[in-house]
Amino acid sequence: MAEKETKELATREERIPATRTERPMVPPVDIYETAEGLILVADMPGVSKDKVDVKIEENVLEIRGEIADLPGEEVSPIYAELTGKEYYRAFTIGPEFDLDKVEASMEAGMLRIFLPKIEAEKPRKIEIKVA
Amino acid sequence: MPINWGLWFDPFREFDRLQQEIDRLLELTKPFIPIRSVARGTFPVINIGETSDHVLVYIFAPGIDLEKVDLSIEGNLLSISGERDASSALKVEKIEPERYYRQERFSGKFTRVVSLPESINPDEVEATYQNGIIKVKIGKKEEKKARRIEVKAG
Repeated sequence: MAEKETKELATREERIPATRTERPMVPPVDIYETAEGLILVADMPGVSKDKVDVKIEENVLEIRGEIADLPGEEVSPIYAELTGKEYYRAFTIGPEFDLDKVEASMEAGMLRIFLPKIEAEKPRKIEIKVA
Repeated sequence: MPINWGLWFDPFREFDRLQQEIDRLLELTKPFIPIRSVARGTFPVINIGETSDHVLVYIFAPGIDLEKVDLSIEGNLLSISGERDASSALKVEKIEPERYYRQERFSGKFTRVVSLPESINPDEVEATYQNGIIKVKIGKKEEKKARRIEVKAG
């Protein structure tokens, strides 16, 4: 029993990185459903097209972005409401999406992701009969 | 095998977290906050910085229509007002509000005023919009610019 416990701790030790990292900011999102699929829009000001990363692994959709053009060393802050340089957010998704056809685009600091539904999953109208 | 506490239990990380929590609590009570500062979640969020000869204002306003934005400067007050339609980014022909699962992004009219250092020269302003950030660069008055002072050997 005791041996098992040490083993568990040892693996955990590997999992947690020793470096202290800044906590990423959580971007606000809108999620909207159409008959064709789900649309997600995230506000990530400062993130350019090449600094955004959208990843779907198993059933998790991960959004990550880095502010591209941070002020240099010569700029000293006077007042800051936003601190941080990274955005991160994740959602779990169901199996009803066609992951090969996911579209993502970045425009004016907004990330838009379209998750299309698999053909067979699109809504069919079900007629309700009066008994 | 001894457990290496330093590796997976970093007490300094806990201090950081504690510091963040305390900062957050103090924000609610501390008396020396600028009068125009706002609660979290306001749109747009503003950061201000300065260099030796400029004051830089970063307005985090993703997806705004620049034609609907009014940016002005009066004395040392910079104001921005406008309107953002968050739903336009969905690129859906007709929005049906009941189809939203989450609607966290700001939509509607906004106005914000920030006070800038007295040293600015309101006649020397330029603003650009990139990646959803409006960057306003304001010059400083010539007499207020930082000057390098030479130390002479005696």
